[in-house]
Amino acid sequence: MTALAPFTLQTGLFFRRKLLETLRQPVWIITGLTTPVLYLALFAPLLRSLAGGPAFPPGRVLDVFVPGVMVLIAFGAGMGAGWPIIWELDSGVIERLRVTPASRLALLLGTVLRDIVMFALPGVVVIAIGAAFGYHVRWGGLALLFLLLALLTAACSATSSALGLNLKQIGSLAAVVTGAQLPLTLLAGVLLPLSLGPTWLRVLGHVNPMYYAVQAARSLAAGTVATATVGVGFLVMAAIAALSVWWGTRAYQRAMT
Amino acid sequence: MSSPPMPAVRVTGLRKSFRAADAAVEAVSGIDLTVAAGEIFGLLGPNGAGKTTTLRILTTLLPADAGDAYVAGEDVRRAPGQVRRRIGYVGQLGGADKEATGRENLMLAGRLYGLSAADTRRRCAELTEVFDLDALADRAVRTYSGGQRRRLEVALGIMHRPRVLFLDEPTTGLDPQNRANLWEQLRLLRDGGTTVFLTTHYLDEADQLCDRVAIVDHGRVIALGSPDELKQRYSADSIAVTPEAGADVLDAVARELADAPFITGAVVEAGPSGHGTIRLTATDATRAMAAVFGALASRGVPTRAASVARPSLDDVFLRETGRSLRDAGSSTAGAEVTAGAAEEVAA
Repeated sequence: MTALAPFTLQTGLFFRRKLLETLRQPVWIITGLTTPVLYLALFAPLLRSLAGGPAFPPGRVLDVFVPGVMVLIAFGAGMGAGWPIIWELDSGVIERLRVTPASRLALLLGTVLRDIVMFALPGVVVIAIGAAFGYHVRWGGLALLFLLLALLTAACSATSSALGLNLKQIGSLAAVVTGAQLPLTLLAGVLLPLSLGPTWLRVLGHVNPMYYAVQAARSLAAGTVATATVGVGFLVMAAIAALSVWWGTRAYQRAMT
Repeated sequence: MSSPPMPAVRVTGLRKSFRAADAAVEAVSGIDLTVAAGEIFGLLGPNGAGKTTTLRILTTLLPADAGDAYVAGEDVRRAPGQVRRRIGYVGQLGGADKEATGRENLMLAGRLYGLSAADTRRRCAELTEVFDLDALADRAVRTYSGGQRRRLEVALGIMHRPRVLFLDEPTTGLDPQNRANLWEQLRLLRDGGTTVFLTTHYLDEADQLCDRVAIVDHGRVIALGSPDELKQRYSADSIAVTPEAGADVLDAVARELADAPFITGAVVEAGPSGHGTIRLTATDATRAMAAVFGALASRGVPTRAASVARPSLDDVFLRETGRSLRDAGSSTAGAEVTAGAAEEVAA
């Protein structure tokens, strides 16, 4: 009989496995980079005419828009997790891993960590391009912004994993994820701040956890770190990340084809 | 240890129901069986008989509703983690990561069980050689043929030298050569001390590969023993002899033979051209043959034709269920796999 690999080693092994999975599909890496860049190139110019209006202080369009795009990257990087998991269910990989003594949490964290990397890489590219076009980089706030959105990525990744393991079919997963994507991102004020909208829209936004991430991200990008908005953002993200990781781990414990 | 050797698998009163659309369907209805360490044990039965469900309970994938199951001395319900360290598993779906290379698959499996990187590499080299995968080890598994993939999957199941290897329908979809090759590998594993526990719906696989077989139907064990024992216990050899003699001689011989203890039945059948046939059922074909030839020789009667048919495990199944295993279960095919979907699973 063999001793069991320690938890950190298991997590590392699963993380490596998931990174290799991504590297074998360069298309995902390319679209992961081009989508946010396209937002900056094709959408941000539309906002220039709004500068000076209620949502955008003069000359600060990108300061408001770049954090929103970062949230979109985090959401997209995490929500893709479920697809390969369904292939793994179909090919029996997950069943085989469930018969090993490997920790189910480690199995989930392998995916979550890979998705955090797949958020951070395009995130850095977007910040760099944004900076070139006038986004003001504030280093302290930026570091915390990456941390906050790593939590959002983790929550999305674990949720998508749990959905994949429970729904078991690509079609159902696609329906749920794309169905949820639009209301979640619109009601978070990702592209345009919700403060532009009527009261009912702002009220709806408050029941969306992503709204708090976007608010905190804008505050952090503006360099205002010690605010209630940032605190609430971190609390909400930490809570939904913990809840999703618990759900995802449970889904691995029960996963069946 | 001086105590008697611990059984590799011990199951008592095992039960498992699934909630189907409108009612609970009992997939396993009170299975008892014991598998000795170092034997190849087969669960033989039609689709939907409860084989896969039983295997899933034993491999910690599904919790039982009732009953006890011990694998390698550990309680499947209370100590699933201990069971998982001691077993290997080759599922129906295979379980190799198709996009990864064979070597990547093997390395991950070894490291997960706590083998060091160096030990894992050594074991990987050993198994790729034994399973003739050397030339393929660095290719993506999706490029493998069916037989090559199955060999890799078995190698994955034994990377950590488990005490008990479970295989679910291991030769389904394999051509005869790959099938024979896999049987040979499983026998070598058994000879090396590993207990092999498999499910199959192939009569010849149970008969030729397994040391002992449990025949299951509707979630129950209907017969348990070595293939030879089962065939002898439940059915008899049948012998047909056609001598060059008239009906009166045949009748006399049949009457004489019917008294022998190893002969359970003797009848005379009229033949098409006046040559009748003596049909015997016997518990011991060799002695029955000797007796019939002796009886004919003592009368100076030559034999035109003689044949012996050995019983098959299908006769056992037929005798117990009234159905042939070759036909049984086709209507319920696949039910077992889908039934697993909605169910509760132990951590």
